[in-house]
Amino acid sequence: MLIEDLNKLKEDIGKEIDKVNYHIRKTLADIRVKVFGKSGSLTALSKGMRDLPNEEKPKVGALINEVRSFLEEKISNKEKAFEEQELVEKLEKEKIDITEPSNDKVGAPHPISAVLDKLTDICVSLGFSVVEGPEIETDYYNFEALNTPKNHPARDMQDTFFINENILVRSQTSAVQAREMEVRKPPFKIICPGKTYRNDSDSTHSPVFHQIEGLVVDENISMADLKTMLTILMKRLFGEDTTIRFRPSFFPFTEPSIEVDVSCPNCHGKGCQTCKGTGMLELLGAGIVNPKVLEISGIDSKKYRGFAFGLGLDRTAMILNSINNIRNFYRNDIRFLNQMK
Amino acid sequence: MKVTYNWLKEMVDIDISPEELAEKLTSAGMEVEEIIYQNKHLHNVVVGRIIKIEKHPQADRLVVCRVDIGGGKVTQILTAATNVFEGAVVPVSLEGADLVNGVKIQKTVMRGVESCGMFCSGEELGIDENYYEGAGVNGILILPSNLKIGQPIEEALMLNDVVYDIGITPNRADCMSVIGIAREVCALLGKELKKINLNYDIDVYAKDTVRNYVNVDVQTENCYRYMAGAVTDVKIERSPLWLRARLNAVGIKPINTIVDITNYVLIEMGQPLHAFDQKNINGSHIIVRQAQDGETITALNHNEYTLTEENMVIADDNGPMVIAGVIGGTNSCITDSTQICVFESAVFDLKSIRITSRKLGVRTDSSARYEKGVNVANAELGLARALHLVTQLGCGKVTRGIIDICNKKNEAREVVGSIKLINEILGATVPTNEMVRILNNLGIQTKALGDKLVCKVPPYREDVENDYDLAEEIIRLYGYDVYDNINYNLFENASITEGHVHPRLNLERKFRNALVERGFYENISYTLVTGKINEMLLLPDDEFKIVRIANPISESISCMRTSMAHSLFQNVNYNLSVGNKDLRIFEFGKVFRAKSLPMTELPIEDNMLAIAVCEEGYDFFKLKGVVESLLNKTSLKYKLTRSTKPFLHLGVSADVLTENNEVVASFGEIHPTVAKNYDIPANVFYCEVNTQHLADLHEKTYVVKAISKYPIVERDIAIVVDEEITVEELLNSIKSACGTLFYECYLFDIYRHNSIGNNKKSLAFKIRLSDINKTLTDEEVSNVINKVLKSLSYKHGAVLR
Repeated sequence: MLIEDLNKLKEDIGKEIDKVNYHIRKTLADIRVKVFGKSGSLTALSKGMRDLPNEEKPKVGALINEVRSFLEEKISNKEKAFEEQELVEKLEKEKIDITEPSNDKVGAPHPISAVLDKLTDICVSLGFSVVEGPEIETDYYNFEALNTPKNHPARDMQDTFFINENILVRSQTSAVQAREMEVRKPPFKIICPGKTYRNDSDSTHSPVFHQIEGLVVDENISMADLKTMLTILMKRLFGEDTTIRFRPSFFPFTEPSIEVDVSCPNCHGKGCQTCKGTGMLELLGAGIVNPKVLEISGIDSKKYRGFAFGLGLDRTAMILNSINNIRNFYRNDIRFLNQMK
Repeated sequence: MKVTYNWLKEMVDIDISPEELAEKLTSAGMEVEEIIYQNKHLHNVVVGRIIKIEKHPQADRLVVCRVDIGGGKVTQILTAATNVFEGAVVPVSLEGADLVNGVKIQKTVMRGVESCGMFCSGEELGIDENYYEGAGVNGILILPSNLKIGQPIEEALMLNDVVYDIGITPNRADCMSVIGIAREVCALLGKELKKINLNYDIDVYAKDTVRNYVNVDVQTENCYRYMAGAVTDVKIERSPLWLRARLNAVGIKPINTIVDITNYVLIEMGQPLHAFDQKNINGSHIIVRQAQDGETITALNHNEYTLTEENMVIADDNGPMVIAGVIGGTNSCITDSTQICVFESAVFDLKSIRITSRKLGVRTDSSARYEKGVNVANAELGLARALHLVTQLGCGKVTRGIIDICNKKNEAREVVGSIKLINEILGATVPTNEMVRILNNLGIQTKALGDKLVCKVPPYREDVENDYDLAEEIIRLYGYDVYDNINYNLFENASITEGHVHPRLNLERKFRNALVERGFYENISYTLVTGKINEMLLLPDDEFKIVRIANPISESISCMRTSMAHSLFQNVNYNLSVGNKDLRIFEFGKVFRAKSLPMTELPIEDNMLAIAVCEEGYDFFKLKGVVESLLNKTSLKYKLTRSTKPFLHLGVSADVLTENNEVVASFGEIHPTVAKNYDIPANVFYCEVNTQHLADLHEKTYVVKAISKYPIVERDIAIVVDEEITVEELLNSIKSACGTLFYECYLFDIYRHNSIGNNKKSLAFKIRLSDINKTLTDEEVSNVINKVLKSLSYKHGAVLR
C-alpha cells in the first residue's frame, strides 16, 4: 500500500504545487515543510520502509527517491521562476525618466574650421602639403613677387591695410605662394590656408576673412589639370553631382586667369535664392601661374609650369551651411555656433 | 564701366539681342554686372496734348482735362497741377504704367469724376533739368509742341537705350571705352569695326592758326604726349538731345556743348580731354610741369589742394590751371562767356597720375583711365573726334593746325607664339585656323608659319606679350566650354607628390576635438582690435609693442591683437549681453608684437590657443584638468609655477614651464580689474597655450613598462601640514619614500578647521603599492608607510592625524 500512498502523494502534492501562483508564492515553503519536514508526509511514508520485506525495499526506496526529487525539482523550478519575476518587478520599480538630460556638454567647431579641415583632408589626399606664412607681410611677397609692382593698376583689385610703405597686412594668401616658390624645388603641390585682410565691410565682406590658396608647379601642367583637380575638390566638398564652369578673368599672377563657378549645391543648378536664380555660384579664382611669377621666384619657366587657385573659406562655409551674413562668423554667438554640433 | 547697346551698335553691326550680347561679353571676360533698361519705368507713358480744361464740379483744386493721346484716342485725366494749359503737350502715364517713384497708374474716380491716367513731372520720369528743359520745374513737364502725339515717351525723350555696367579687369585699360568694348564685340561676332567719323571742317577763312591762341611747353617726363587744338566762335549752349541722351545713359550729367564733347570723347574713345577758356590762359602759354612744393589750386570740386613735386600740373604763366589728368581748376574752365576754347588731349605716365589721385584723394573719370594707362596713339583719335563733334554740333570754328608734342613712341609690336606650347598650356587642342581667326578678329594680325604664330599686336593691347597671353586670348574667345566634357585624368602628365599635413594644424585639430568633446565652442575673432588692448589687459606697451594699421576702417579694428585674452573676453561679454550663459569657448589664432617701433621688420607672430570659461561653479582645478588633458597629448615635460600674467588673478593662476623654463601656457582666474574693463564677471577662467611651441616638440611616443601579475595594495594616510606646503611637494616625497614599490598616490581629501590649527590643512592621500615579483605582505606595507610618514614629518613637518 506504501507504493500507492507514494504515488498518491506525488500526484496530490504535484497538483498542489501547480496551483501555487506568484501571489501566494510563500506557500511553496509551507509545502516544502509539509512534505519534506521532520513530520512531513514524505518523511512519514519513508519511515514505513522499515516494515517492508527486504526484497521490496529497493523498489520502494527508488520510488521514494523519485517522488522526492520530482517534487523538489518542481518546487525549486517554481521558486526560480518567481525569483526572476521578483527581480523584474524590482528593476521595474527602479525605472528612471530616460528623457532627463545628461550632464555631459558637447561643444562645436567653428564653421570655418570645419570647412578648412574638410578641404585640407581632400587636398592632402591628392598629394598637397599644407604650409603657412605670416599674416603681416612685406609688400614684396604680397604684391611685387606676384607680378604686381607698386602703383600697378591691379593693386586696386583689393583694398589693402598698410602698416607702412613696405609692410602690410596680407590681402591674399597668395603671398605664401611667393615665399614657398623661393624655397621649394618643383615638382610640388601646396595649399596655404589662413587669415587675410581687406579694407572692406558689409554683409558679404569682412575686414578679416579666410582664404585657402593652392599651387602646383611641375612640368607639363595645363588648364586641363586645373579643371580635373577643381572638379574633384568641389565634388568632394559639395557632392558628387557638382559641376564647375570656367570664365575668363584677370589676376596679375596667373595667365590665363579664370573665375570658377560651381553649380549651386542648394538647388543643384536649377536656380534659387542662394545663387540668385543663376544656378551657379562664383567661388574660386584660378589660372596658370604667370611665367613672370615663376621667374621672379627663381623657377625656370621654360621647364616648369604651374596652376594656382584660391577660394574664400568664409564664402564656402556660408554656402555649405546656408549662412547669409558673414558677420555671424566673428560675433561668436553661442546660439549661432551651437548649430554646428 | 557703363556703355549702351545703341552706342555699341553705332560702331558694330550687332545682330543679336541686348541680353545675348551681355551673355557673350561675360563669357569672354567682359563681365556684365548689370543690365539697366532705361525704359523700365516708362511703359504706357506717351506724349499727349491737353485739348480742354474744365473745373472739377466737386473739388476746387482739381481740373478735368480732355487729352489727345494719339491714334484718334482721347482720354480724361484729373490733375491738381497748376502749370497745365489748353494746347500743352505733356507726358501722359496711362493705366498699367509703373513709374520710377513706385506709383502704379490705374483708372480712378475722384469725387465722382473718372481719371484715366496722370500727367508726369520730370522727376516722375527720372530726369532732371540738365537732361531736358522743363524737367526741373515744380509741376508737369511741358514738352515742345512739335512732338508727335501718341509717341511713346521713351522715344520722344530718347530714354530707350539698354545700359551695361561692365567690370573691366585692370589689364584691359583699352576697354575703359565704348570703342574698346566695341572691338571685343567685333571679335565675338566676327564683324568689322565701323569707321569712326574723325573729319572736321577747318576755318579756312581765318588767318590765325592754333599757335595764335596757345603755345605748349612740356617740361616733365611724366607727360608722354600733349596735343592741343583751338576752336573760335564757341557757342556754349545745351547739347542736342542725342548727345545728352548718351551721357545721361552712362551716368554723366550734361552741362553744355563743349563740356559735353569732352565727356563724350572720354567715354567713347577712352581719351580724357580738357577744355580751357583761352582768355584765361595767361600768356597763351601752357606749361606741363611738376608742381612746386606748396603751390595751390582750387579745383572744379571747389576744394583747394596744396601740391607737391609729386603732382603734375598744366600751368600757365601765372600758375597751375589743372592737376594733370586728375581734375581741372576753376580759373580756366569753360563758362557761358567762353568765346575761344582750347582742347587738350594728352597722355600721362600712369604711376604719376595714380600717386596724385591717391595722395589728394580725388578720383575722376579722367584719373580712372589715366592710372590704368591710356595709349599714346589714343590722344590723336580723341582730339580729332572732339573737333568732329564741334563741327557736327556747329558749336564753333576749328582753327587751322594742331599742336602735338610726343615724347614716347607706341607702335604695333611683333609677338611670336608657339602653337604647340599654347595647346600644352591649355591642355586642349584648338585648331590652328581657329587660333588665327580669333586673334585676327581681336585686331591682332596673325599668320601661322609652321609651329609659329606670328602676331602683330596693336598698340592698345600692351597686355599681350607672350605665349601665355596669346593662350588666354584664344581660349576666352574659343570658349572655356571645351573643358566641360574633357576626358582627362587627375595630374595625368604630372609627378606624384606626397601630401604632408602641417604639424601645428594637426595638433590644433587634436585639441579642437578634445575641447569640443568637453563642451567648448570654437570661436574665431577679428585679429584687428582697438589700440586700447594693452591698457585693458594691463599689458606693458614696451613688451607688447602694438602693430598699428596706417589706414584702418575704425579705431575699434585699428591694431593687431597682442593677446588672445582680448578676443575671448569680448566674446564672453557679447554672449552674456545676449543672454547666453554657461560659456565655454576657445580660439586658435595669432598674436602680434612688433620688434621695434616704428616697424622696420616683420613682427613676431605667435600661434596660440586660448580658452575661456564663464560658468556657475567652475574653478581653477576644473580648468587645470582641461589644460593637463591637452598637454598630455604632447610629449611636453612640464612643471607649474605661479603665473605672472598681468591679466590673471595673481593668487589663482599658473604658468606651465618647459624643462628650459619657457612659458608654454598660462591659466587661471582673471584679474578683477580686467574683468571690470571688459564688463564681465570676475569668476571667468582663462587659459592660453603657445601651440607652435608644442607642435615643435617631437610627437609623443610611448614606452610601455611591464605590469605586475600581483594585486595592488592600498593604504590611506591623513596628515596635517602648514598651508605653505604644496601637494606637489608632498606627492614627490611620498613617491621617493615608497621607492620601487610605488604604483600611484593621489590626494582624496582636504580638510581645514580651527581644531587642527591656524594656517594648517589636513590632507588625505591614498597610497597604492605594488611589487612586480610578489604579493606584498602586511608587514612590508606597514614598513613602507612608516617610511613615508617619517619622511613627511622630517621634510615637511607633517603630523599624522
